[in-house]
Amino acid sequence: MADSRPLVLLAGPPNSGKSTLFNSLTGLRQRVANYPGVTVERRSGVVRLASGRVELVDLPGVHGLSSRSLDQLVARRALLGEMEGGRRPDGLVILLDSTRLSSHLMVAESFLGLGIPTLVVLAMADELDRRDGAVEAAELSRELGVEVALVDARDPGTLGSVHSFFEALLTGGEEARACPAVAVADSHVAQSPARAPTRPLPVVDLFSARRDRARQLGRAAGYRAPRESVVTNRLDALALHRIWGPVVFLGVVALVFQTIFAWAMPLMDATEATIRISGRYLHGIMPDGWLRSLLIEGVWAGVGSVIVFLPQILILFFFIALMEDSGYMARAAVVADRLMHRVGLQGRSFLPLLSAYACAIPAIMSARAVEDERDRLATIFIAPFMTCSARLPVYALLIAAFVPAGPVLGPILGRQAAVLIGLYALGLVAAIGTAALLKRTLLRGRPLPFVMELPPYRMPSARSVATRLLDRAKVFLRRAGRIILAVTVVLWVLTQLPRTPDGGSPPIDESALGRMGQLIEPAIEPLGLDWRIGIGLVTSLAAREVIVGTLGTIYGVEAEDDTTLELRAALQRDMDLGSAVALLVFFAFALQCMSTVAVMRRETGGWRWPSLQFAYMLVLAYLGAWAAKSIL
Amino acid sequence: MLAEVPLEEEVVLVRMDVAGEDVEPLLERGIVPGCRLCPVRHAPVGGPTVYSVDGCLVALRREIASCLCVRSALEAAGVLDSN
Repeated sequence: MADSRPLVLLAGPPNSGKSTLFNSLTGLRQRVANYPGVTVERRSGVVRLASGRVELVDLPGVHGLSSRSLDQLVARRALLGEMEGGRRPDGLVILLDSTRLSSHLMVAESFLGLGIPTLVVLAMADELDRRDGAVEAAELSRELGVEVALVDARDPGTLGSVHSFFEALLTGGEEARACPAVAVADSHVAQSPARAPTRPLPVVDLFSARRDRARQLGRAAGYRAPRESVVTNRLDALALHRIWGPVVFLGVVALVFQTIFAWAMPLMDATEATIRISGRYLHGIMPDGWLRSLLIEGVWAGVGSVIVFLPQILILFFFIALMEDSGYMARAAVVADRLMHRVGLQGRSFLPLLSAYACAIPAIMSARAVEDERDRLATIFIAPFMTCSARLPVYALLIAAFVPAGPVLGPILGRQAAVLIGLYALGLVAAIGTAALLKRTLLRGRPLPFVMELPPYRMPSARSVATRLLDRAKVFLRRAGRIILAVTVVLWVLTQLPRTPDGGSPPIDESALGRMGQLIEPAIEPLGLDWRIGIGLVTSLAAREVIVGTLGTIYGVEAEDDTTLELRAALQRDMDLGSAVALLVFFAFALQCMSTVAVMRRETGGWRWPSLQFAYMLVLAYLGAWAAKSIL
Repeated sequence: MLAEVPLEEEVVLVRMDVAGEDVEPLLERGIVPGCRLCPVRHAPVGGPTVYSVDGCLVALRREIASCLCVRSALEAAGVLDSN
């Protein structure tokens, strides 16, 4: 029974090595989910010990416990026993970075005094030592009234005292360790944050007192701050250099782009081929009938259309993990801040938006790094305007069919490439315009000041990166897979009904899906599109590129890729240039991706934002397509 | 104001003219009256400036740095000595 295990919370400021310690203690026995009703991720895991098991929950990294951000609110409520199904925690591990102890002790003050058995873990002990810093753990323990352990979270050999703390909780010997309730009377937990708009601000006095206490603690514990990190100094001289900084930044962006588009392709092709071949194999061994049709053409093909993006998404998250764990991410946010500030966002929004060029799903998931809630929502809202890779097969098919090859800028830029670049630009312009609109309307308000802590550079650990990739893959497959499964099964049913007199499936134009296409034809007729494209638009709700296969089926050609000449010829017969451009514009703007909608619901905690976004993008897509058709 | 301090010059924070809840993200990162700040480098293209605060590096936009009233650390030390 999970409830009989002691519940221990792991708290601490961001970038203090909390995830590394959590991974070292729990290994792969982890679960990732959202806290009920909010969009803050809850990571929990089980620590196995000689006398039993402990449930460890990694709280979001926070600098304090006011309710200013969702992360802080969740951490505060979990500590007070208002989360975790109303369970009060049995133990608390506070992780601090020993190389930044002066400021991290201030953070620790918020977590102490809760009457919970507490262990303070000072991480990065090896680095403190290497840079000639020092701290007496025993002295600090005496001053704080709780146990203090000095560890290197990456080295399991140094985690003995953490295990002993857990063992004591299991064997019930923890009473002596319980730190006295409200040891620090002015903690944010004991008293809600003062937000008086007039000066003098009581909150300033509160933090001043906290800083004095932290300094006093540091002195008593013989804390000697480490020398400046030479590595961090040298790397920052490059990463934040007036000229080299942007060069490094653009180099990293180019590398990420190159990798997710060029290097991920063989993996994606191999995944696609595996899905296709295994589908054919299953098709061969299963008896003919509706079950085979449902499983192979519905479920297998539908789920396959999501799995095919997994290599690209994992590569993207690999880069995000490397950048976050190494410390470069904070520098990238600083370099991009000026640019993003101009469109009403902040530096932290840059990377999620860059990720959206591969797929909006990881972009929306990684927008959690944006601390300001309004900026986070704006980032999530505009991410699907970035040209994701699922749009490329559609663009490639239509451009090849309707845009004649030929030079625009001599050998450098061809006409077809120019149209493709134009479509990328169209998405970007729509994103910037939408961000500006949101920040002046629904998300209006004074932004939180941009205060970005730059952690020291550190070598990312393979284990930490691998664990993150694993849990991102799980979240992606679970969220995107479920909705795609549902959508593809519904679409399959619509192609199978009504049954023909001999009990077979109907031709696609007579099926329920075909009738839906005919039903929406009057709506898309002004765009120069007919019922066949209408069916494609409906099926592409599962995933944008599905329209290519659907059109192949409708036109009776086997369209396994977008270079199929017959499909191009069929489209050229039925559409003119104006309607082709209208369709391209429609795909540039419309939110034809139910997986994105599902992930957005998870990340915004309800249907309000995804519904609004779907409607907004649909209207924009329709008007854009209509304008294109009218002009051409 | 902090925004005017040249690189490498250490200053002491005297007063924070930052409205209401905007002050909290600063306080939580150790930017508290009495703390020592030193501008370490300016980010490219007019971006935020990176300050060293109690052994940590914190980047602030100019508009926030313009609301933080500081005085030279040497001057502050002199005041303390004379006291």
